[in-house]
Amino acid sequence: MKVIDCPHIGKRPMSEFVYGHEVREMPKPSEASDKEWADYVFSRDGAPGVKKEWWHHVPSGIWFVFERDTLTDKFIRLVDIAEVQYEL
Amino acid sequence: MPYRLLKYAFKNPEELGDPRYFDQPEKLKSSYDVVIIGGGGHGLACAYYLARDFGITNVAVLEQGYVGGGNTGRNTTIVRSNYLTPEGVKFYDESLKLYLDLSDDLDINLMYSTRGHFTLAHSDSAMRTSRWRAETNKHLGIDSEVVDRQFIKNEVPYLDLDCGGTHPIMGALYHGPGAVARHDAVAWGYGRAANVRGVEIHQKTQVTGIKTNDDGTKVVGVETNRGFVQAGKVISMVAGSSPRITSMVGLKTPIEIFPLQACVTEPVKPFMDTIIVSGSLHCYVSQSSRGEMVMGASADPQELHSTRSSFDFVEGLTDQMMDLLPFTGGLRLMRQWAGMCDMTPDFAPIMGKTPIDNFYLDGGWGTWGFKATPVSGKTMAYTVANDKVHDLIKPFGLDRFDTYKLVGEKGAASVGH
Amino acid sequence: MSYRLQEQPFEWIDRSKTVNIEVEGRPMRGFEGDTISSTMLANGVIHMGRSFKYHRIRGPFTFANHDINALFENADKTHVRGDVELAEDGLKLKGANTIGGIAKDKFRHLSLLSRFLVVGFYYKGLFKPRFLRPFYERIIRESAGLGKVDLNWRGGRKSKRYGFCDVLVIGAGPAGMAAAKAAAESGAQVMLVDENAQIGGSLDYQYANDASVADTRSELKEAVLNNENIEVHTSSVAVGWYTDNWMPINTPNGIIKVRAEQVVMATGLFEQPSIFHKNDVPGVMMASAAQRMIARYAIKPCEVAAMVVANEDGYRAALDLLKAGVKINAIADLEDHEDRGDLAKQVKAQGVQIYDHHGIYEVEGKDRVTSATLCPLNASGELDTSRKTTVPCDGVMMSVGWAPATHMLFQCKADIKYDATIGQFRAQSLPEGMFAAGRVNGVFDIKDQIADGAGAGQQAAAAAKGESADVQRPEPTKVRQSHEYPIFSHPKAKNFLDYDEDIQLKDYINAAKEGFDNIELIKRFSTNGMGPSQGKHSNMNGIRILAKHTGKSIDETGSTTARPMFHPTPVGHLGGRRFRAERVTPMQESHVAHKAVFMEAGAWLRPEYYDTEATRTESIHAEVNAVRTGLGIIDVSTLGKIEVFGPDAPEVMDRICTMRMSNMKIGMTRYALVVDEAGVITDDGVVVRYADDHFYYTTTTGSSDPAFRTLQKQILEWGLKAEAVNRTGQLQAMNLAGPLARQKLAPLTDIDLSEEAFPYLAARTGTMYGKPVTLARVGFVGELGYEIHCLSGDAAEIWDNLLRDCADAGIRPFGVEAQRLLRLEKGHVIVTQDTDGLTNPYEAGMPWAVHMKKDFFIGKRSLEILKPLQARKLMGFMFPESYSGGTPKECHLLIKDGELNGRITSVSYSPTFNRYLGLAYVDDMNANVGDAVNVRLDDGALVEAELVSLPFYDPEGKRQTCDVDGTEEKVA
Repeated sequence: MKVIDCPHIGKRPMSEFVYGHEVREMPKPSEASDKEWADYVFSRDGAPGVKKEWWHHVPSGIWFVFERDTLTDKFIRLVDIAEVQYEL
Repeated sequence: MPYRLLKYAFKNPEELGDPRYFDQPEKLKSSYDVVIIGGGGHGLACAYYLARDFGITNVAVLEQGYVGGGNTGRNTTIVRSNYLTPEGVKFYDESLKLYLDLSDDLDINLMYSTRGHFTLAHSDSAMRTSRWRAETNKHLGIDSEVVDRQFIKNEVPYLDLDCGGTHPIMGALYHGPGAVARHDAVAWGYGRAANVRGVEIHQKTQVTGIKTNDDGTKVVGVETNRGFVQAGKVISMVAGSSPRITSMVGLKTPIEIFPLQACVTEPVKPFMDTIIVSGSLHCYVSQSSRGEMVMGASADPQELHSTRSSFDFVEGLTDQMMDLLPFTGGLRLMRQWAGMCDMTPDFAPIMGKTPIDNFYLDGGWGTWGFKATPVSGKTMAYTVANDKVHDLIKPFGLDRFDTYKLVGEKGAASVGH
Repeated sequence: MSYRLQEQPFEWIDRSKTVNIEVEGRPMRGFEGDTISSTMLANGVIHMGRSFKYHRIRGPFTFANHDINALFENADKTHVRGDVELAEDGLKLKGANTIGGIAKDKFRHLSLLSRFLVVGFYYKGLFKPRFLRPFYERIIRESAGLGKVDLNWRGGRKSKRYGFCDVLVIGAGPAGMAAAKAAAESGAQVMLVDENAQIGGSLDYQYANDASVADTRSELKEAVLNNENIEVHTSSVAVGWYTDNWMPINTPNGIIKVRAEQVVMATGLFEQPSIFHKNDVPGVMMASAAQRMIARYAIKPCEVAAMVVANEDGYRAALDLLKAGVKINAIADLEDHEDRGDLAKQVKAQGVQIYDHHGIYEVEGKDRVTSATLCPLNASGELDTSRKTTVPCDGVMMSVGWAPATHMLFQCKADIKYDATIGQFRAQSLPEGMFAAGRVNGVFDIKDQIADGAGAGQQAAAAAKGESADVQRPEPTKVRQSHEYPIFSHPKAKNFLDYDEDIQLKDYINAAKEGFDNIELIKRFSTNGMGPSQGKHSNMNGIRILAKHTGKSIDETGSTTARPMFHPTPVGHLGGRRFRAERVTPMQESHVAHKAVFMEAGAWLRPEYYDTEATRTESIHAEVNAVRTGLGIIDVSTLGKIEVFGPDAPEVMDRICTMRMSNMKIGMTRYALVVDEAGVITDDGVVVRYADDHFYYTTTTGSSDPAFRTLQKQILEWGLKAEAVNRTGQLQAMNLAGPLARQKLAPLTDIDLSEEAFPYLAARTGTMYGKPVTLARVGFVGELGYEIHCLSGDAAEIWDNLLRDCADAGIRPFGVEAQRLLRLEKGHVIVTQDTDGLTNPYEAGMPWAVHMKKDFFIGKRSLEILKPLQARKLMGFMFPESYSGGTPKECHLLIKDGELNGRITSVSYSPTFNRYLGLAYVDDMNANVGDAVNVRLDDGALVEAELVSLPFYDPEGKRQTCDVDGTEEKVA
């Protein structure tokens, strides 16, 4: 069982978290063409790399965003939610 | 004693070796008509059909590791065609038919063994999905039916239908033609048959980049750790490495990579003739020709480009397995491993042409790549040779996501090996 | 003839207690502490099993669970490892993988066929002609596998527990004990694990007679066993290394899952065989096996020995043999004994004939070795077979090299390279949290091993505190311990590389010649290392052979991937004790009392129906009738219940649901449909608006957690001022429905139920029976009804009181099945039953639930694209009342002109309409109400149904808004 070391809640086993997928900024729905929108909905940056991802800690009910290297599975840093917020 | 083995008896044992299955060419040529990235079952099958059916032999298969060392050699070798959607059923049924003749075609014993395949249903909704699949299958001429507990008890008397007390089995989808085969032999057989026809197989040859024309609309060659080669056409057939390859040409796809793990027990005397899958319990099991019980579960929940093993996997799997097969508690688990699964949003593959000229894609196999090996090779060879998408794979084009024409296979997924 | 010696200084047997076992009907007596194999040897029995492929007779080989020569079975166990499992009094065993017993195995002559059974023979033959394939398959299957499984056997589950320590030491040999001691003395909590029955490792068998370590031995053992900071687990094996030092330890009592801050790998070595003709004949064994027999079990391995050695350990073993009274007729030293140091001189001084630069070429003997033939080595490392020396012997001991137990070091991605000086793999650098000590680390001198262990222990203890210890660790040895190529070909082969799989040298070389000259490919083709020993005695020689064949270095050749398990691990231990969470609502007792038949809905148990009538169908229909004509109540506590607060709560609800929620009036409810970004329906429920900034919304059973997570995440991502609270466990709900609902409920609550004060789709808060409740007028089942939401602690009381107080109205609790039927008559969809993984609201016939004029909601943009693409529609259908054919079922298909035309998603016999009715997706977008469709039944028969408009029942929706007083309807 992998451990996620979170500055707020300490080292917790990964089984306490639900994976919330990569952080992705939505294009403006009114401005995106059908194709651009479909690309946003379905396409992913599937190549390995350092990605910002949502992780929900179930026991505390808190969402975190971590940077993780999807090649090595290393958690690199906790990301401030403000960094991933966007307005519609 | 079969004649084919007799010949070995009259040779000096030290000089017994048959010819090499695949040559190890010293150098890459400067140019090939077709470069296939990925020396697994799909890549080698495609090379074979390109050579056999279309006379295209100036082909290089580039494999970063060793032949069949990716998901071809890591899957749990189940072949079946009882899919949910008509397009899925037709495609996998063609594959199953090709498998039936493949030992003869490739002159290698693939140990293809028809065993019968149970997809157990532990809930109303699983029973509904079973019926949906059975009805679609029957409509398309596939041997597939919903069976009740009594049928299962007769066929698999050692299965605990009450499942340890929770989620009892209500019935199952039974697919008589479900089979297993020796996965390695499929890759080796295709490799040898392609090699004999002039295809070059380059192992330990990693593609590090793909070269396009200036505006990026057309592929012209590939960079490798052994130098650049020009290529008339390039096909990516790399399953778990698909996003790495497509990113080299700036192509985004819906493919995401999740580890899928499996394990085997020590070999025991064969007792199990069928393949058993339980979607509700997230596990499946069959017995290999060596006597090992081959078991797997659903893919890991998070993206990861690694074949590391996890202990949670064996804990969860064995716990559920003992509900189904209570006597397994005394067996020993011998080895566990993982592959990288290339998953798509609709649980159907992505095959055929791409927006980039001369670049073809065969990926997004999820947990179903092995059973599609022959038909993928054949239809991709057709598609590349004619630059025209084969009818059987038209529903699986990358462009279906632009138009929301997804394949409805997701309804039968969860664990569908 | 007994092989038992007089008492040995560190023996593991208790001579005061005898045990009696029976192997294949033959009674044997041993002592407590004896293994099955040592008991057999003590009784003069050396034949312990038959090999996998050729059924060759086999005897003790590694005596350490690094081979499976001694594999047994009985009624309780499939694979009993004789070398390490204890002889328990009364144990009865027979050999695994034999027909007719070990001695008279039916297949005992199979090795005569080995000339035909070339490497990969099953790929090359046994499939032509095609009609014989089933026959061949049967042969292959009959010869596959080892032990026989008892399919009626039950059990094996053992509880797991967690373990925590600062320093986990794997291996309790000299280095491991020293590491544990040093770490504990540095203040660390230590766990020490060893697969053997006792701690001590090589110190107690290889160095049993070494007086120079006598004091150290007792000091180390004393410290380890008496230090309260060291937890010792013997007969326990580390299953493998998993991410972040997650190391499950398999003990006889179950698995301990250890999260170790720091790990010291003191796993030692596996001795490796020399490969020569008939190296598997009983009597041929590892020198370390002979030492284990002598030191642990006081067993004399043979009377007269020959040895092949390539290191100092071989001479140490020779001295142990001599001391045990074994005569050594010859020692073939692959190099020069003069370079071996003092021990070789001592051996020579005892009159043993040493043949320098010799190897063993072949041995003779059928059931036991009778002689060994030595040949000199020429300059190219091959045996000169023109000069043979044959010596009689009944035992051959091999001490030609080692393979380090680096499995878990590979797993943690240590940088492991071949050290040509020593002749073994060694970690050049280790990841954080990992240390290696002793011989696995290339440190061989016994005092150095102990110092290396102590140093690693200190470093690990310091690292656990976040510090570093400045410790001088001993250098790896500069003396070669493993021969580069103790491998010799023979025209008659039978020179085994892998004993589990019966792989001979020629098999392996031929595999390489046939193109499988990659270490992973050759494993797969030849099956070297694929048996239960997983290459412990064969992987290293395999690498050496392949390297030589290809002309590459050992590092270039590489090793196969070392995957868990280190030793095969019982499934029952891995699975552990069975635990299944099962959720019930506070009304469970009442459900049971009312004869509920339960169904599983995820982790929930829900009443499917109440078994009150003669049949299931009659019971369900009675429940339906109660709701349609009188009063029914259903427990809907399993619904997800989420509250959303804050100034942006209306915005949140608008963005999450397809309908506009921000214009809802306070005290009203609205249907909530949720789609994902691709426009696919994922959930539905009801939203209640309590205040401008306060919403309450229900989700389907099982969706509460994902729905709540999505809501929370979106609030964060959009930076909105709102908070979500998941109240699913805190609140319960029941739906009181039927024409008598208002009449019966009104006196029981302080809420005004009059139509004016509490119209359809309104929600009100107040009390019932003095308990706080929210009532919501919803119409899922198509009758006047009130959903009652209350605190969990009050739910059972309210439920029971309602049943009591409405008894005179004939109230019936109804289950999930009746609810399904009621809502079907009303044409309401159930998400996941009437929708699939791609269904959008247009297809599901719910365009009314999609408010496209809103600026935004999740999935809106996709629905804009999907709307014109619609290619199927959910429609109602009915069978004629006179229909008497087969039963239509959910997921039966619609067929038109022989082609697929859709699928039934819900169908039931309606007691209200006295006929089958249901919902189906129709692919023909031109289909209209009134058209006929063909349904294909189980037996293939096509039967006709008529498409009808929805809902079937009460299309004008009057019943949800009216009272029924007796038989007279009073429309509000």
